[in-house]
Amino acid sequence: MAIRKDANTLNPNERAEFVDAILALKAAGIYDRFVLRHANAIMNAIHRSPAFLPWHRRFIYDLELELQRVSGNPDLGIPYWNWPSGEADAAMWRNDFLGGNGDASGVVRTGPFQAGQWTVVNASGLPSGPLMRTFGQNGFPTLPTQTEIDQVMAITPYDSPPWNMSSSPSFRNQLEGWAGPNLHNRGHVWVGGSMLPMTSPNDPVFFMHHCMVDKIWHDWQARFPNQDYLPVVGGPFGQNLTDPMDSTPSGQIGSRPIDVLDSAALGITYDDGTTIPQPTIPLLVVDANPEQFSIGAPGETDIFQFQVAAFGSHTAFTTGSSDTFMTLFGPNNPAAQVAFDDDGGENLNAQITRNLSAGTYYLRIRLFSSNSTGNYAVGIRSNNNIPTPIPELTVDGASINAAISTANESDLYRLNITDDAIYTFQTYGTTDTFMTLHGPNSQIPVIASNDDGGVTLNARIRQQLTAGEYFLRIRHFSPIGTGFYSIHATRE
Amino acid sequence: MTHHKETFANCVIEVKDGTHLSINGKVIDYEYDKESNKWSSRYLPYTQYDSILEMAQAIAQHTVEFSSIKD
Repeated sequence: MAIRKDANTLNPNERAEFVDAILALKAAGIYDRFVLRHANAIMNAIHRSPAFLPWHRRFIYDLELELQRVSGNPDLGIPYWNWPSGEADAAMWRNDFLGGNGDASGVVRTGPFQAGQWTVVNASGLPSGPLMRTFGQNGFPTLPTQTEIDQVMAITPYDSPPWNMSSSPSFRNQLEGWAGPNLHNRGHVWVGGSMLPMTSPNDPVFFMHHCMVDKIWHDWQARFPNQDYLPVVGGPFGQNLTDPMDSTPSGQIGSRPIDVLDSAALGITYDDGTTIPQPTIPLLVVDANPEQFSIGAPGETDIFQFQVAAFGSHTAFTTGSSDTFMTLFGPNNPAAQVAFDDDGGENLNAQITRNLSAGTYYLRIRLFSSNSTGNYAVGIRSNNNIPTPIPELTVDGASINAAISTANESDLYRLNITDDAIYTFQTYGTTDTFMTLHGPNSQIPVIASNDDGGVTLNARIRQQLTAGEYFLRIRHFSPIGTGFYSIHATRE
Repeated sequence: MTHHKETFANCVIEVKDGTHLSINGKVIDYEYDKESNKWSSRYLPYTQYDSILEMAQAIAQHTVEFSSIKD
C-alpha cells in the first residue's frame, strides 16, 4: 500500500529513505531505464492526448514499485509536489531532499543530485552532463495556485474530440496545460533545465511533479464518479479505453488505460483523502426569464439542469454578445448527448430546439473560443407544449423531399413499424447524407448508422425491426454542409 | 526567412526554405499548429514557440542531445 504524502511534510527519515532509494536505482541502472522509457516514447502518444494521464499513472507506479523493492518498505509512496506550497524556498528543495535551483549556468550544485554525484542521460542512455534547473526563468515565474487547481477540478468531461491539445471542454487538456490556467506544463517549465525535454525524468522532481498531476486526477475521479475515461472507442490508436499504450511494458498490471483507472485497486493512497463534493448544478426553470452567467476564465464550462414535465418542444438558448457553444444531455443522464449548437440563435448565440420527453436535462455552455471570457444569459422555453410535428415516413409509400438548409441541421422522421421484417431506408440525391436509426419507441437509442451505403454519397440502412415506433435522423456528413435529398423506406 | 544559418549555444542551427530545420546537421522534426501559429517539437514536449528559430534555439539550449554544459 503506497502512501503518497505532500513532499513538504516528510520528516528527515522519510526524506532520506526516498533519496537513498532513488540513488540505489540510479546506481543499478534502473532509474535511467525510466528516463529512456519516457524519452523514446512517441511524444503525441503520451502527451497532448487522452492517454497522458493513464500513461504517467502507470509510469510513476512502476517506479514506485522499484523504490519499495530497494528500500524494503512496501508502504513507500512517491511524495507529491504540492505546487501552491512548493516554491523555491519550500522544504522539498533543501539539501537533504532534492537540492535547490541551479547556479548562474543552471547547474545544480546542492543536494544529493548535484553535479559530480548525479549525471543525466540522453535519449540513447549516454551520460550527458549535470542536472540543470532554472527556476522561474522560462516564461513562467510562478507555480499553479490552489485557485487554479480548483478551477481545473470543476471541468468535465474527461476529454473530448479531437483528442489533442485543442480539446475543449477537457479536464485532461486543462490539467496537462494546453488550455485553461496551465498546470502540468507550467511545472516542467518553471523548474526549467533538465525538466524541459523528453528526458525530463532525469530530474527526480519529475516523479513528484507527476504524482501531483496524478493526485489531481485521482481527486477528480472521486469527485465525478460518473465521468468516465474517454474515448472508449473512436479515438486514435493507443488512446482508447482498451488500447495498449505506447512504451508501456507488460508488468504486474496491464498497459491499457482501463488497467489503471482505479487508484485504490493499485494500492495507492494519498494523505489528503478528502473528496471534494460535486459542484451544485444550477437549476434553470422552464419559461422563466433568462439568467445571467459568465465564463470568467478561458476554457471554463458552465453546466445547468432543467426539468421537463411533459413531452413537448423546448428551446434552450443564450442571449448576449458572447459567442456561446451549447451541448444538451439527457433525459436523466448527464452523459447522453442529445444535440449541440454553435450559432443557431441570434448573432453568435447558441440555440437548440428539440421535442423532449419528461425528465431531467443537462445543458453545458462554453464559449466557442477556449481562449475567451464573457457574459451571457441562458434560458429554456417551452414552445407552448406543442411538439414540433415530426414528418411520418410511410413504408413502401412516397419518398419525402427535404433539405439540410443550414449548418449542423438534422431532420427527423417518424416510422410506424407494424410487422417484424427487414426494412431498408435510403436517401437519394447529390448531398452527402448521414443517417441514424433510433428506437423502438424512443428517439434516443441508436440502432444503426450509415454514411455512404447508398448510391454515391447517399446513406442506406437495412435492418431487421420488430413492431414499434422508430425514428430516422438525417444530417449532412459535414457539420457545415447543406443540400437537398429525398428519403424512402421499403420493406422486404 | 528562406535560408538562415546561425550558431547558438555552441550549436549550428540551419533553416532552409523557412521550413527544413537542422541542428548540428541533424534534421529536426517538428509540428506547426496553423490555428495557434505555434511551433513545437518532440524534443521539448511541454512548450510551444512563436517561430521555428525560437524553437530551434530552445532545443539547442535545453536538450541533452545538443546542450554543451558539462560538470
